[in-house]
Amino acid sequence: MASEHHNSSKTRAYIFAALSIILLALSAWVIWDDEFGLRPWKHYQKEYKSLKHDKLEKEYQAAMQEFRRSGGARRLAMLEQKLAKSEEAFKQKGVHDRYVELNARLDDLHVKLANNQKDLQMTRGQYLETEYYFTKTQKPEYKTKMDALQRQIDGFDRAGKALLEKEGPLKQEIYKITGGMAEVRAEIEAIKKALEDQKEKIANNDKSPIEIKQYMIKDTDKADRCVSCHAGIESSTQVSKKQPFTKHPLGFVYLGHHDPTKFGCTFCHRGQGRATTTIEKAHGNVKHWEEPMLKGDMTQTSCLNCHGDIKNLRGAEKIAGNTELIRKYGCYSCHKIPGYEGMGDVGPELTNVGTKVNYSWAVKWLMDPKKYFSTARMPKFFFSQDQAESIADYLFSMSGTTRHDVDYASATPNEQLVEQGRNLWSQARCNLCHMTNGKGGNHIKVYAPDLSKVGSKANKTWLFNWIKDPNKYFPGTKMPRFRFSDQEINALVEYLVSEYLDDEAEAAYTTPTEIKAASIKKGKDLIQQYGCYGCHKIQGMEMVQVAPSLKTQGVTFLRSDEMREKIGTELSSIGSKPVDLLDFGKLKKTISNDRLSYIKQKLRDPRGFRLGLRMPNFGLSEKEVNELASVLYGFIDSNVPVRFMVPSRQELDRMAGVPSYKFTGDFAKVIADVKCTNCHTIKGIGADYAPDLSLAGSKLQESWIRSFLANPDVIRPLLQQMPKLGLSLSAKPAKITMPKFNLGQQKVEDTNRSDVDVVVNYFQQELVTTEIPKDVPVVAEVGMPEQIGKGKQLYAEKGCVACHQIGSDGGAIGPNLSNVGNRLKPGFIFKHLENPRKFKPDIVEPNYGFSERERIFLTNYLMTLKLTAK
Amino acid sequence: MTGSCSGNGVTGKCQEIKTEIHMSELYDKVKKNLIWKSIFRRDYKDNVRNRALAIFGNVFLHLHPVKVRESAVKLRFTWGMGGITFLSFIILTITGIVLMFYYHPTTDLAFLDMKDFEYQVPYGVITRNLHRWAAHFMVIVVMIHMFRVFMTGSYKAPRQFNWGIGVILLVLTFLLSFTGYLLPWDQLGFWAITVGTNMGAATPLLGFQGPFSEYLHITPYNDIRFALLGGAQVGGNALLRSYIWHCIAIPLIATILMVVHFWRVRKDGGISRPQNN
Repeated sequence: MASEHHNSSKTRAYIFAALSIILLALSAWVIWDDEFGLRPWKHYQKEYKSLKHDKLEKEYQAAMQEFRRSGGARRLAMLEQKLAKSEEAFKQKGVHDRYVELNARLDDLHVKLANNQKDLQMTRGQYLETEYYFTKTQKPEYKTKMDALQRQIDGFDRAGKALLEKEGPLKQEIYKITGGMAEVRAEIEAIKKALEDQKEKIANNDKSPIEIKQYMIKDTDKADRCVSCHAGIESSTQVSKKQPFTKHPLGFVYLGHHDPTKFGCTFCHRGQGRATTTIEKAHGNVKHWEEPMLKGDMTQTSCLNCHGDIKNLRGAEKIAGNTELIRKYGCYSCHKIPGYEGMGDVGPELTNVGTKVNYSWAVKWLMDPKKYFSTARMPKFFFSQDQAESIADYLFSMSGTTRHDVDYASATPNEQLVEQGRNLWSQARCNLCHMTNGKGGNHIKVYAPDLSKVGSKANKTWLFNWIKDPNKYFPGTKMPRFRFSDQEINALVEYLVSEYLDDEAEAAYTTPTEIKAASIKKGKDLIQQYGCYGCHKIQGMEMVQVAPSLKTQGVTFLRSDEMREKIGTELSSIGSKPVDLLDFGKLKKTISNDRLSYIKQKLRDPRGFRLGLRMPNFGLSEKEVNELASVLYGFIDSNVPVRFMVPSRQELDRMAGVPSYKFTGDFAKVIADVKCTNCHTIKGIGADYAPDLSLAGSKLQESWIRSFLANPDVIRPLLQQMPKLGLSLSAKPAKITMPKFNLGQQKVEDTNRSDVDVVVNYFQQELVTTEIPKDVPVVAEVGMPEQIGKGKQLYAEKGCVACHQIGSDGGAIGPNLSNVGNRLKPGFIFKHLENPRKFKPDIVEPNYGFSERERIFLTNYLMTLKLTAK
Repeated sequence: MTGSCSGNGVTGKCQEIKTEIHMSELYDKVKKNLIWKSIFRRDYKDNVRNRALAIFGNVFLHLHPVKVRESAVKLRFTWGMGGITFLSFIILTITGIVLMFYYHPTTDLAFLDMKDFEYQVPYGVITRNLHRWAAHFMVIVVMIHMFRVFMTGSYKAPRQFNWGIGVILLVLTFLLSFTGYLLPWDQLGFWAITVGTNMGAATPLLGFQGPFSEYLHITPYNDIRFALLGGAQVGGNALLRSYIWHCIAIPLIATILMVVHFWRVRKDGGISRPQNN
């Protein structure tokens, strides 16, 4: 045997033993890891449970203390004592027997009463039957029978009453014997129940199981297990401010409108909803997971997934503001972005630019617009002097001019004209849109050019023609046509070119110089290469009308090879583009390789990734970069379920085949001229910068409209500049007034009507609603002076004075009411007081729930507030 | 029995005797009954013949040689690689069956199921990782096994046929690995299968990109790649085909061939061993 097993002299038992121990240890580790290591949510749920337990316990203790303090405890003790006494007394010999006997008598009485009632009802039935026959036949025997039955009925009635009389004393005696035990028991029950309920809450919390909790959303293939750790996210009360236990911020807006069981978490927040093992994995901050979690305001980017109209969307204020940047910089000019089709050119028309500006200025501007004006919207293309000249050469040659400059710096201005121009400038409130020397201007909504150096840029002839009729040079411009006389325009131009000059301007071509053909060719190539035609209308680069046969094939644009319909990459799905498809170029190692970093870096330094990129630099501030990136991040290639979609009003109208509103008749001409919709919204068209005029006809008095148009003044002094509902008074509000367009001095083209008449007429014909009554209902029984007195009293009682001003007294949040009797129609005030938010959902005015009468009184009072014309 | 030793006070010895008696009673109870005998057929004396019969009479063990020479178990010669490969295969079968309980071979669910192994299934992480590690291990070990067989000349007569079986088994191992690669339905697997099957498309006479394809009227829709993918590109059909090859067809073929392989090891004179011993 030994010879057969000589191998065993070298025993391997130790190795096997060691390996077994390692295997055992590994197995133990596997079990531990699966129970605890990979299940951190167990720990969080336990912690949340104990925090919630503490909170409930504290509430319970507080309730107990309150119970003791308010005498509830004493009352309970008293009641219990009383109950014990009664029970003791009840147990005495003889008492119980008496109780049983009394109860038996009471039952007996009830039976008798019920029988009596039955007999009574039967007899009544017979009586009615007999009465019916009697009225039909008039036979006397029926009459006799009726009398007999009536006697019977009276007898039953009496018997019933007698029985009922017996019931009272019986019940009283029973009550005396039991000492009112039933009532005492009920009260004790009620007192205890309130406390028991709270105790039960604690017990229920303690019983709740530790388990994976998830929202399973079938049609988006999501299983969001975020709530496994974020246990308090849906709670309406804050259990702990510590993460992950907090409740959802603004939960009543976000979760209230998006039931988590139907939307889940990651649909808005991204991140890796299925992950449960570590915080990094769950929040998606791991390699190869391309959707890190969106936090804070950044989450609002997801509103864009479903909501077509986010302008007045509660909770989407940040992203709604940020989308303005797309409009401001006109990203859609070079990139295809869904929802921004057909937005019009962001830059001015350049067809005849050679007749407008100085050549030297054009070259300087092309090289670096931001250097000329820091508020310039045109980006920097990094053109060399030579390239900029070529482009200017092309543009000037297409306008039929040569290289030429006009220099007004050395000219002596006509002082009288300048003074007149200065007055006109402030009267017409040009500064409302145009910035000069860092003052005025509205760069959020209108983007009118800065005019601080206009005298060194444009020539007098052009300025004159421009102010006279802006639509002629640039159809579709936002600049309104002010009704100035030629003399007034001359004065304004004189003022502009003498006051607003550029000290650093060069005028190298005061003597015009011919343009070389080679330079024109080079300029054209550059324009095509960089796609200037995306933002500007340029001669020779127009969109070509394509044949219908091509249009059906989807071809809408046809030019030389270099020209594309949109020169930039399509941005429809940039927010969900796979990171592999983003070209990080030479920055691969310097910035973190995720989509958001890419987008931000692209906006910061568009050509930094590698050579040969063409996107210009917009010189965005870091704030703008973040804001714009948050919008771009929201353009996702999504398969959003239809049930999530909230199309905008316009989309709904289009789907329903409702034609969009169009201004008609002479009013359309006035709108095209004065551009009311630059600031006002009328029937859904226009900006939200000034009051909505859709119902102005029902609201405003004709005489007031006329006088306001003649001399516009501030109506809402503070609110005008404040963010909706933000009510932050930190930023100093500017006094913004409507410009004075000099309406009423000229006739509308081809007609005899003054433009004010046209406006007033349109207001009264079109901008009205039947929902607003023309007049206030009349209250006949109260005298008018008394009504006005009551209205005044209401005005004082409800504290209207806190926001509204009458005379010099009152707050400045609401409109000044000193002249409201001349301004508003009584029917509007009456309707408005019923529900101030009906026609303007975001108004700050509270709904006081006035009765109709109160509203009539208030209206009648307000209508007395009139300023006499000065 | 207990009575006889109750007086002497040496309780330890007493218990020893007791256990001995109990053990022998237990032994009889277990082995001398109908069930035991019906399974193991006979009660045998420990001699050479019976030991051989025990091997013969067992469906699993009869694949193995009745006798193994001492030199054959020398690790230094065989490296034990064949056995380790087989062990890997067993681990893969067991963990694979567990994985199949949770996995749906559809494009919607495959990747999500994979994620759930990590995040939700009890012992999902260790099960899936064991499957993956064992798969890598098997591929490596089976190649080392071939290398050893080649270097020791064990493919020579009389083992030529078994070498052939072994080569087929090597290919099957690779195919198992390849088909399993697609099942997580992630980018890695997707592109690996795309590239892999495109190689099939470039194969002469079989693929539409290969030489002579135009003469044989081979198109992307009737070539070898189409057969592998169930389509012209990697999609739901490819996933299902991969799944069926990986979980049913190839393991079945491999098992049969392994049986033959082991049987031939025995029939060809036992496991190869150093010749000059």
